[in-house]
Amino acid sequence: MLNASLINSMSGLLLLTSLLVIETRKPRQSAILYSFQSLVLVAIFLALAIFRGAPQLYLWAASAFVTKAILVPLILYRALSKVDESTTSLNTVSTPVSVLLAAVAVVVSFTVVSQIELKSAADFIPALAISVAHFFFGQLCIVTQRNIFKQILGFCLMENGSHLTLALLAYRAPELVEFGIATDAVFAVVVLVLLAGQIYRRLHTLDSAELNMLKG
Amino acid sequence: MESAYLIWLLVTPLMASLVAVLANWIGRAARPALEIAHMLGVTAVLILVLIVAGQVLASGEVSALNHWLRVDALGAIFVVIVGLVGFLAGLYSIGYTRHDLEIGEMDTGRLIAYYGLFHFFFFTMLLAVISNNIIIMWVAIEATTLSSAFLVGLYGTRPALEAAWKYVVICTVGVAFGLYGTILVYSDAVNVMKETGMASLWSEIVKNAGALDPTLLKLAFVFVLIGFGTKAGIFPMYTWLPDTYSEAPSPVSAMLSGVLVNCALFVIIRFSIIVNLTLGPTFTQTLFLVFGVLSLATAVFFMLGQRDLNRLLAYSSPENTGLILVALGLGGPLGTLAGLLQLLNHSLVKSMLFFLSGSILIKYRSRSLDIVKGLMQAAPVTSFFLLGGVFALVGVPPFNIFLSKFMIVSAGIASGHLWLMIFCLLLLMLAFVALLGMLSSVVFGEKPEGVAKGEAGFAMLAPIIILMLLILVLGVTMPTPLSALLDGASSVMNEGIPIVQSTGTGLTADSILGSLGLSQAEEPITLLGVQSGH
Repeated sequence: MLNASLINSMSGLLLLTSLLVIETRKPRQSAILYSFQSLVLVAIFLALAIFRGAPQLYLWAASAFVTKAILVPLILYRALSKVDESTTSLNTVSTPVSVLLAAVAVVVSFTVVSQIELKSAADFIPALAISVAHFFFGQLCIVTQRNIFKQILGFCLMENGSHLTLALLAYRAPELVEFGIATDAVFAVVVLVLLAGQIYRRLHTLDSAELNMLKG
Repeated sequence: MESAYLIWLLVTPLMASLVAVLANWIGRAARPALEIAHMLGVTAVLILVLIVAGQVLASGEVSALNHWLRVDALGAIFVVIVGLVGFLAGLYSIGYTRHDLEIGEMDTGRLIAYYGLFHFFFFTMLLAVISNNIIIMWVAIEATTLSSAFLVGLYGTRPALEAAWKYVVICTVGVAFGLYGTILVYSDAVNVMKETGMASLWSEIVKNAGALDPTLLKLAFVFVLIGFGTKAGIFPMYTWLPDTYSEAPSPVSAMLSGVLVNCALFVIIRFSIIVNLTLGPTFTQTLFLVFGVLSLATAVFFMLGQRDLNRLLAYSSPENTGLILVALGLGGPLGTLAGLLQLLNHSLVKSMLFFLSGSILIKYRSRSLDIVKGLMQAAPVTSFFLLGGVFALVGVPPFNIFLSKFMIVSAGIASGHLWLMIFCLLLLMLAFVALLGMLSSVVFGEKPEGVAKGEAGFAMLAPIIILMLLILVLGVTMPTPLSALLDGASSVMNEGIPIVQSTGTGLTADSILGSLGLSQAEEPITLLGVQSGH
């Protein structure tokens, strides 16, 4: 049980790092913080691998380390080093409101997850609820942040949330499945970053509120 | 039955995509080489989907790679739609891209990107409909967004980039919900099934559906409906759709509206079968009816007063998705049959209309209904097909959609939903008004000065003629192979599921099809056999 509570506490750390990623004003710092968060996720995968005696989770940890702790933050950091960040800290809501919304997401997730009866996740209900809340945190970031790079980070947070859910509930799925999901996630970031780069070069803005030509 | 053709169905578009990328290194010969590789690719896929459909007709289902790939009668209908519309969009692309190259809107680099991404997009859609692994289904649907994002933003203009951004952000966020739904179903199946490797295979989950947890499945299906519904253009998640369809190159819009929407609906249908087997059909049917009517009503509202040709056609997509959901929500063999037929018919008509709008855009350099006027003078053949296409879309006989709409209304009345059908008919009438308003404005009136007379080239007209022929044929007769596939698909969707509707009016699938003179299958349509059998 010590291991289960360790994993649940580590999941709590994910939420904290998420809030930092969302609320840090400079996207480049957010990218570094995201890398740190991914390291926490890798540690959770390792702990789960040991606790459950599931060797495939070591592979998950390795692939998450390569893609999420190194590759994706690096792609984001490099892309961000080419843009002027001085105009980029645009939020639609203030930090206290953001934190309040995050708290609501946590409460809702706990309520929903406590209804679910799954033998495989019985010890990890808090971690499972946190993973779902984390997914909603990512959405919150996309909705509340106007900087398109912060929106990409929001997608990354969502993805970390669903990845943890996957590790808790579907770790016995064939490796090819995990590979497919991980590849999609990396490609999604690449596509989003390339598009954001084009938007910055051609339209000279990173503000999603200025993408308002198409209506009706 | 094992079929290696399923593997070729995935390998072929991947190879075509790779060849397109390699064309980068052959300099001046790139364009003809690209066109040849492209046409070979789409033609090969069309032949392969027809072979696979034939195999399904002969043996019920085909599979490959340890059942990771599987096509039954339901899958075969979608595979044929993807292959056929993909082929025609491919054919149309030749003339369309040649024109763009001519006027300098596209260079060789962009052409390479276009064909490379076209085939990769084609691959992801085929994977979505032939995968039997529910998680790979999700991976494929997510990959459709990623592969088509740059096709949407191909021209790099402000509206195109804006549309591409909205498309990729809304769809990746939406489809992420689908992953949650998928994970929940998978983890529930793992708890029940002994072999964990099998728990991700749809055909195996269906066999164990009776033992799954009902509460969990309800939650999972809501996630699935939100997630894949975002791609299918279901209310309220379809906000990306008009922007994307209007800014993407026309052949891509045809693929998005005629094929991609169906791939997402296909995944929703697959999950609904699992849920129906566990819970009975009431839960999914209620959700289908509610979201169907809402999609239909809101889309019609946006269609009225729309002054952009492509946006008008785009809003007609959620209108039709709504109608398909209503048909599926009515349930029973007749409702599902009507829904599937409407889905097929809409694919053909809508892709034809997007091809036509592409030809109109080339001629007028505008999509605004304030500028596009006098098409009858400018291009009589194009305007003739536009007339036919719009009449087909609104459901005028003898075109195909008349038949499927008639079947949907009959299914509604037969299942005791008279008032709902009257409401839907009122909404469809409003859509009719919006589309006819567009038609009279575009076809008649004075042609603007500076718009030259003349039709689009034969390469762009040929797919339109093929589609028009199909639309007419399916309006007056039901070819035996298609009726057998629809019958099989309806069985896949209804077998083992209790019928909850009352049929107080005495209308039945056989009587309705018989009254339309459509029971031409060598073997009679056995829908009621399914109904009475359970």
